[in-house]
Amino acid sequence: MKLLETPLMTRTSSFRGLAFLTAFALTLARAQAEIRETSVWWLPRNVNMFGHDVDFLFYIILFLTGVAFIGVFFAMILFLIKYRYRPGVAAIHTHGNNALEVVWTTIPAFIFLALAIYGNEQWSKMRRQTPPANALPVAVVGEQFGWNVRYPGPDGQLGKMVAAKISKENPFGIELADPAGLDDFTTYNELVFPVGRPVRLYLGSKDVIHAFYVPEFRLYQDMVPGRVYDFVWLKAEATGNFQLACNQLCGQGHYKMFGKLSVVPELDYETWAKSKTPPPVTMTGR
Amino acid sequence: MSTTTLNHSIESHGHEHAEVTGWRKYIWSLDHKIIGLQYLFTSLGFLFVGGGLALLLRWQLAYPSTQVMANGDVGNPLSLPFINPQFYNSLFTMHATVMVFLVVMPLLIGAFGNYLIPLKIGAGDMAFPLINELSYWVYVLSGAILLGSFFVAGGAAAGGWTSYAPLSSVSAYNGTQIGQSLWCVGIFLNGLASIMGAFNYITTIVNMRAPGMGFFRMPLAVWSLFITAFLLLLAVPVLSAAAAMLFLDLNAGTSFFNPANGGQPLLWQHLFWFFGHPEVYIMILPAMGMVSDILSIFSRKPVFGYRAMVYAMVAIGFLGFIVWGHHMFVSGMNLVLSAAFGVSTMVIAVPSAIKTFNWLGTLWGGSIRFTTAMLNALAFVLMFVIGGLSGIFMASTPVDIFVHHTYFIVAHIHYVLFGGSIFGIFAGIYTWYPKMFGRMLDENLGKIHFGLTFAFYNLCFFPMHNVGLGGMMRRIADPTAYEHLRALQPINQFITLAAIGLGFSQFIFLWNFFRSLRHGKPAGKNPWNATTLEWIVASPPGHGNFEVTPRVYRGAYDYSVPGAPRDFMMQNEPEPSESSQGKAAGRKSVTAG
Repeated sequence: MKLLETPLMTRTSSFRGLAFLTAFALTLARAQAEIRETSVWWLPRNVNMFGHDVDFLFYIILFLTGVAFIGVFFAMILFLIKYRYRPGVAAIHTHGNNALEVVWTTIPAFIFLALAIYGNEQWSKMRRQTPPANALPVAVVGEQFGWNVRYPGPDGQLGKMVAAKISKENPFGIELADPAGLDDFTTYNELVFPVGRPVRLYLGSKDVIHAFYVPEFRLYQDMVPGRVYDFVWLKAEATGNFQLACNQLCGQGHYKMFGKLSVVPELDYETWAKSKTPPPVTMTGR
Repeated sequence: MSTTTLNHSIESHGHEHAEVTGWRKYIWSLDHKIIGLQYLFTSLGFLFVGGGLALLLRWQLAYPSTQVMANGDVGNPLSLPFINPQFYNSLFTMHATVMVFLVVMPLLIGAFGNYLIPLKIGAGDMAFPLINELSYWVYVLSGAILLGSFFVAGGAAAGGWTSYAPLSSVSAYNGTQIGQSLWCVGIFLNGLASIMGAFNYITTIVNMRAPGMGFFRMPLAVWSLFITAFLLLLAVPVLSAAAAMLFLDLNAGTSFFNPANGGQPLLWQHLFWFFGHPEVYIMILPAMGMVSDILSIFSRKPVFGYRAMVYAMVAIGFLGFIVWGHHMFVSGMNLVLSAAFGVSTMVIAVPSAIKTFNWLGTLWGGSIRFTTAMLNALAFVLMFVIGGLSGIFMASTPVDIFVHHTYFIVAHIHYVLFGGSIFGIFAGIYTWYPKMFGRMLDENLGKIHFGLTFAFYNLCFFPMHNVGLGGMMRRIADPTAYEHLRALQPINQFITLAAIGLGFSQFIFLWNFFRSLRHGKPAGKNPWNATTLEWIVASPPGHGNFEVTPRVYRGAYDYSVPGAPRDFMMQNEPEPSESSQGKAAGRKSVTAG
């Protein structure tokens, strides 16, 4: 029995240590951090139209889970103090309470279902809604370890992409007979989006699975070889320089498979696009 | 099922094999207790291997060997030059593989499952002792192959523990032809060991319960292992099949997963996660069951809502098979399918919530003893709550578009697997060590170990939520390569320091564990004044466990029964005659079968 009678353990020392180390880390972060527009402890800024909905849902879930955690945490602490072992005070003998079981089954069920329904609405909006007609089509095809990017020429249209035709010689799987592809131009590891104009992505891969990930766009999409995904679109709301990162393990060079992504005013985009001379025989790629 | 058949089955299975003595006992004993201990020692050994791999990869993240320094030099001066990006990929692949397949599953299912199931249900041994021992040695073989793959040409598998094809299935892409093939073989054998264990547990629990031990008198630890065994039996063969297909793709020229020859990369993901999600519950359910029992013992109270707990675990078991797609929301899978999996995933959160509330209910009104075992069990509840709640972010499809494959999910899985499973395992070890070895672990060392582990654990894993939200991807060998992540580097270094603290704190546990084998206080039969059947026999129990098959008269949690002489009533204690009528009416007795 002796072992059972250990008093409430004092964990304050470890909590004090925790507070100290956190303060230490914060100082460290301030001293060493390079320039970043937002706090290193929190979300980066959002520049994508859909990002607002993602962030809004994120904060709703943060609120709900925060309330749930605080509730559980304080209930637990309260019980641990109030019902700690005291000589002569016996535990209450109870096997449970069915009414309580019903309550704490139903309430979370409704909250989770509401979250699922709301989330699905947003999901449909982001992924299943047809992009606007004026969207700029941009093809991005990943390879070990870089990004092939293809922009439409003056006709505003990309050559038709066929997943099965993606190969070393034809990284975009362009249908050679399609005249829309003749004036396309390509870049490597370099993306430029016009601000305020929707951009529709055509995502593919030459070899293994890569992923298109830009945290400031709240955007992640796997690019599975053998397929071309055309449902991802976005609209940048602010200019700036960002980094496109591969976020699906793709081999030993994965850690440095990144590209430059700039969002610029529409006019700057036009100038940039004109400066990229279309290759003379374009049909086969970059 | 009648008493005679039960007795017969116990006799025919429990005592048909003679006791193996001497050193051979530890190599080829058929006794479930020895096999449980073999699993315990082996998987604790692997825990230190897996932890070592984690520290190496954390070191690379804090001080990358590829970092371009301000003066143009390549390689942080503090870096370990032998960790190149490919080796780093092997490190995290094998860290996860070791922890999942060689540590958490064998500890929970192999060690505790083997040791506790027969004792807790009043049986002499497992139904199939020979298969039981075979299962252990196949597990050891799988571990040897997986770890041995570090030393082959090209190194160990480097495609992540999820081994997504076609990176994993085409050696030109992964550069680890032999390592990846050995990974397939190791996983296949490991699965074989799991399947052998699973049907053994199911058979044992269904057929060999002591007279009076109805299903609804079984302790929740046994229930959880029972449900887990079904999950193993249904999920693991799928992974084994997938591993075999991957092996053939690598070595026999098939193209199950390679789109260049008409294969289907998403097929691998579906197969893997059809196993992988039940696997998550395989690794947490037994800990949930043990923690439920431990909370009850040290609150001196019956488990709150025992049947609700059982039904919640059954619900988790069923729903666990229809949520695998939530790992694939952004894989390019059909978008309507993602929406459907989003709903089922939210639904599976409900039984987890039920369990949490019932744990709190168990504490409520108790007479709580803060033993090391209890502290670990309480940490389990709290950390599981954090891990469960952070899962809701990923379950929401739109938020997943942002947090998928970031450190947020690394934090999430470690809150569930370390904060959940490992704290549950520690709670289990501190509780049942006295039964296993006849001696107590040192409580003071235990509390120091717990305090340090709890503090360093949170310092290590909580900030991962933040770097994840900050946009840091998982599985990158060098965060400093990215402009948008350089500012996060001090946090990464801090996490690494905390991880080192966490790792070194475990040596206190090791010291306590081995020192107490000889120097611990003698435990006696029932040091915790607990009610279940393992506590009516000597510590450690002799070969065959029970001299006389016990008869069970009550549920597993009769603590603090009003009017009883002590604050616990053993499961084999008959009702005191004078008060028997009133109580028997209140508690339905359920018979076996």
